[in-house]
Amino acid sequence: MAHSPCDIWTLPALVTGTGAPFVSFLCTMIFTRRRPRLSCGLSIGAVSISFAASLFLLVCHWGMEAPIHHVGRWLVSSDVNVPFGFLVDPLSLLMLAVVSAICLLVQIYSLGYMAEDPGFSRYYAFMSLFAWAMMSLAVSPNLLQLYIFWELVGLSSYLLIGFWYEKFSATQAGKKAFVMTRAGDVLFFMGVLLVLVHAGNLNIVEINGIRGAEGYSQTIAALSAILIFGGIVGKSAQFPLLTWLPDAMEGPTPVSALLHSATMVAAGVYLFARLFPFFSLSPAAMSLFLAIGTLSMLLASTMAMVSRDIKRVWAYSTISQLGFMIMGLAAGGYFAGVFHLTTHAAFKALLFLCSGVFIHHFGTNDIFKLGAEGSTRFKTPFLCLVTAAGALAGVPPLAGFFSKEAVMGALLEGSSPLWLVPALVGVFLTAYYAFRVIFVIGFPGRSAQTPTAQSRLFPSEEVHGIQAAHYRVMVGPLVVLAFVTLFLGFAQGSLESFLLGGEGRSQGHSGAVHGLVAALALSLAGAGAGMAWWEFGRKGATRKGLVERIPALYRLFSERWYLDHIYRFLMDRLVDRGISVLFLQNDNRVIDGTIDGLGKGTAEGGRLLALLQQAMIQYRLMAAFAVVALLTASLFF
Amino acid sequence: MIVPFGHLLILAGILFVIGLFCALARRSLIMILLGVEIMLNAAAIAFVGGSLHWHDMEGQTIVLFIAAVAATEVSVGLAMIVHVFRKTGSFDPVLFDLLK
Repeated sequence: MAHSPCDIWTLPALVTGTGAPFVSFLCTMIFTRRRPRLSCGLSIGAVSISFAASLFLLVCHWGMEAPIHHVGRWLVSSDVNVPFGFLVDPLSLLMLAVVSAICLLVQIYSLGYMAEDPGFSRYYAFMSLFAWAMMSLAVSPNLLQLYIFWELVGLSSYLLIGFWYEKFSATQAGKKAFVMTRAGDVLFFMGVLLVLVHAGNLNIVEINGIRGAEGYSQTIAALSAILIFGGIVGKSAQFPLLTWLPDAMEGPTPVSALLHSATMVAAGVYLFARLFPFFSLSPAAMSLFLAIGTLSMLLASTMAMVSRDIKRVWAYSTISQLGFMIMGLAAGGYFAGVFHLTTHAAFKALLFLCSGVFIHHFGTNDIFKLGAEGSTRFKTPFLCLVTAAGALAGVPPLAGFFSKEAVMGALLEGSSPLWLVPALVGVFLTAYYAFRVIFVIGFPGRSAQTPTAQSRLFPSEEVHGIQAAHYRVMVGPLVVLAFVTLFLGFAQGSLESFLLGGEGRSQGHSGAVHGLVAALALSLAGAGAGMAWWEFGRKGATRKGLVERIPALYRLFSERWYLDHIYRFLMDRLVDRGISVLFLQNDNRVIDGTIDGLGKGTAEGGRLLALLQQAMIQYRLMAAFAVVALLTASLFF
Repeated sequence: MIVPFGHLLILAGILFVIGLFCALARRSLIMILLGVEIMLNAAAIAFVGGSLHWHDMEGQTIVLFIAAVAATEVSVGLAMIVHVFRKTGSFDPVLFDLLK
């Protein structure tokens, strides 16, 4: 094969692309902490390099057939060989491009948002670390390397969520995110070990090449898939471990945008897609994943229906969209899940960045206050917000519509079309809460209940006024993302053929049924939006949601289905009263007992030995003579 | 030698046992020292007897050494006893329990 420039430049592009943010992180931490301008320049420059490199790679390898490996030996232990390097295939290239693009836009946006923050340099250093970890994760050729960067992603999100560390709630939220994801990561690591023991290596391509017949029993495959899925549950905030994500809103808004679109939570879904052929070995595990995805999607949507905090609404929607992706993947729709991940990255980043403009200006997260203060004055951000919310709800020309239809199609073709029912309910709920936010912010003052009086008590604008220059910097990325959201959907066909290795899967299902489902989803989304309009948008609307009229339901939803309470209860019962008590006893009896025993033994031994000396002098003399006499006697006999 | 060697050994043995009894049984530091002294002399008698019996002068050399050791021992021992008496006002060995 002739050496085209693409082949020669692939490895350098990979190395510089993924390495540049790390270099910028190191430089910022070591040299330029006191010079914010230099720090942000370094960081943005590095991520631009990454973006350019990933675009170059994407263009070069568009339509590639076989994955490319660039590995060096890193760890050899008897017959286990763990290489370290890069894996280039359509999925990792797509992810690389998405991550670097979102990182670049978010970092540019942060120039305005984080201006004059005392931790400006630190912020950019962590952003670089985050970008580096996520991009290296995307190109990891084996599970161990992936796991390392997986943890680094967790670390940097912890650092960024708790970025304003003077705020107690922020440090708590950072800790919660770290600990809860760690709970899943333990399972993930156990799964990795199980794979290592049974498959003999951790190479992703080889693991994906495993077939059921090759001495890899069904139960082991299912068990390791479920264990690895534990890590995905933690990272992507799925059902049992979902409460860390809403709390992660304590970080700066651009961090939330990054965290929710391309990096932290996307890592979980990315891992699912990465190991998709391996996961699909065990249908039982896939059904479990499907159920977990569905459950998370519905739970999070209901939570989003009642939240008044704009960032939290988007956080819940992230959980629910991630659940949607996992549903799509678990139903067998590899492309559908990845495509939704891509489009979601664009519109979710847009949602957060738009909200960030309002939050930055008005200093509040409450949607009713934001509406009353007149957020619509910011024309561009508000239009972008509407676009993104439309994409979230699945309004036709926008990106979200196409990817949602793809997921629906996957569900339709999957094991049981019954899963479509919760998905359709989810579509309805999503449209409802997305447009609820739009209508509350967009049509304020139509009812007497707007809390203007209250907001005048807290004139937070003085703290957070936006300067014109900052505003322009922040709006730029919004416009770019809005255009991506508008047009990304039309790239579906080419992306699909790229991801599926040029095959371009034929539309197997009947067009009529699919069209029906699409129409149903659209009408449900319309109904959701309409209901939101009826309750919040129209003239004389009560501005009280359906759920808020049923106090029990409202409490249930706003307390997040009491999940945190259940965790607290379990922690009290299991950890504080069960395990800790055992540990306490172990500490008291075994450890303290051993040390006390050692001390007491020495003292007792000393006392025993002292008996030889402390008796009267004549007894000792007697003993000495007795010994001599015995020795003498032994000479004779 | 007119006295048979066996008799000498018996005398030495009797003296040694008397000294041992004195050193072990009497409750007085002076008597303990005295008993040790008697035992040393019993050993010296046995050495002298042996020296005559085998016509070897080394036995008598050792007796001289024993006499020197005994003299030293008595002087040091008496000095210690005097010191102890000043401290405790008694010759009772039971009172030496500072190591307890």
